[in-house]
Amino acid sequence: MAEIFDRLMIRLLLALFVCLMIYLYRYAHVIFYPSVKRQVLKKINPAENPADSLHLFSRIVGIAIIFSSITFNETSGFFLSIFHFAVWGTLAIILYLLSLYIIESIVFYNFDYTDEILKRKNMSYAVISFCHAIVIAYLTRTVMIEAENSLVILLVLWLYMLVIVGFSVKYYTFISKLTFNRLLIQKNLSLCFSYGGFSLGAGLIIASCFDQEHYDITVYVIQVLLKTILSLIIFPIFKKGLVKIFPIKLGEDRALEGRIDTDMQSLGYGFYEGCVFIAGAILTTMIVNRIQFGTIYPFF
Amino acid sequence: MYKFFLYTMLIILYLGLAKALSPSEIGIHYLQNERGFSKLISAPDSSVILVDTHATGFLIKTYYQKYRVISGYDTVEELIVRTSKEFAHKNLKNIGMSLYRKTPEKEEFLPLPPGSLYIGNREFGSWKKNKKGEYRWTFSKAYKNFPRYLGWGTFRPTEEFYRELRSKVALNEPFYGLHGEFGPQGKVTRENFPQFFKEERMKKVEMKSLLIEYFKENF
Repeated sequence: MAEIFDRLMIRLLLALFVCLMIYLYRYAHVIFYPSVKRQVLKKINPAENPADSLHLFSRIVGIAIIFSSITFNETSGFFLSIFHFAVWGTLAIILYLLSLYIIESIVFYNFDYTDEILKRKNMSYAVISFCHAIVIAYLTRTVMIEAENSLVILLVLWLYMLVIVGFSVKYYTFISKLTFNRLLIQKNLSLCFSYGGFSLGAGLIIASCFDQEHYDITVYVIQVLLKTILSLIIFPIFKKGLVKIFPIKLGEDRALEGRIDTDMQSLGYGFYEGCVFIAGAILTTMIVNRIQFGTIYPFF
Repeated sequence: MYKFFLYTMLIILYLGLAKALSPSEIGIHYLQNERGFSKLISAPDSSVILVDTHATGFLIKTYYQKYRVISGYDTVEELIVRTSKEFAHKNLKNIGMSLYRKTPEKEEFLPLPPGSLYIGNREFGSWKKNKKGEYRWTFSKAYKNFPRYLGWGTFRPTEEFYRELRSKVALNEPFYGLHGEFGPQGKVTRENFPQFFKEERMKKVEMKSLLIEYFKENF
């Protein structure tokens, strides 16, 4: 009984410690978004600005996703395991916020957080930012698991992941019919669902490329690169295939070009594109990762 | 058109990188035909015996062959190579045979029974008379394991075997033993290369039995 109670106490203490780390994150958030200092450090009113609430709490979800990759090893001692969590948790927060800052600087290079979220309450911006937060968190988590407590490998893989994500977000303009900058200014929700589907799909593909056994970092990096290129080859097949299998109609027959443009900006089209992107990405990960070709050696 | 060009370039890039960087492509030699052995085998008095052959792939096949390289003055090694389709098909009838032999003076590419290089060579053994009064080739003590390496089992060549072997070499014709003991149909080869002649590898797969087996295993 004493042992069970002791374990419960350890769990409760660790849960409190994780809360403390999230509390620290609150201040870290201010470093990257100094303009929200007043909102973040005081009580938050979600009803006042839903876009800002979504923006902030998406980061909390992201941090939770990343923290789930860190393990406590109580056998090495309670304080050492807490110290380990503190070191890797702090590192995770820094890398996560830095990744988000870099990726959002690439995607929202024409937009400013203060203008879009605080002044204009742009929900489209907030939803896209939410998807970024989730995807980057999931990828940082994957990279942290693959690094296996090696700081050097973590930094190499994190940089590598950032490069791939940086290129992947630019890929959106190639495969979507929606104009990103114009529709984002218009607070168009169709764009956020389409881009959300795309970014979640891209995140799944990249995470699956990183998720493999590794013994040698060079071979591992090469395998990740090859899988990424292979995904770029496979994904358009599914995307085109899904569009052919489920053809859509934009506007009435002989409609004016403006009518088709309006239909494309509708919420339905955003759902359609987003779902096609996610479905295509999931199927791509299956083709890239789930086919076992075996080896010649069992035969010999 | 621009997207099509980009997609083609992506495929070329993938194939190029995969070929250049893939671990499975590194360290495995390609053997176009028997002449390729000259580059792979450097030790003198070496005999290369085809042990196994295998094809992988669904639409585009890749052919692999496994060889046992026996050298007079070196350790026995296994060599796995990729080969051309023609070479792989041509040598299906040469399992367990020596496809290449190298001496300091010359190279031989004719399919012959394993150990042909050493029979009659006094450095490796001598002709010894048995109880029946026949002279059979026996390896000297230093090479006592050679019959096992060569896949002879209990077989020991007679003088007649040796004479026939030399005459076939002179005629540039393959030789499978006096009574066809070697090669895929040969008794000696079938006994001493059991891996290749395993029952499950030899039997032809029927769709019906395959499906029955699948349902038995999975449901």
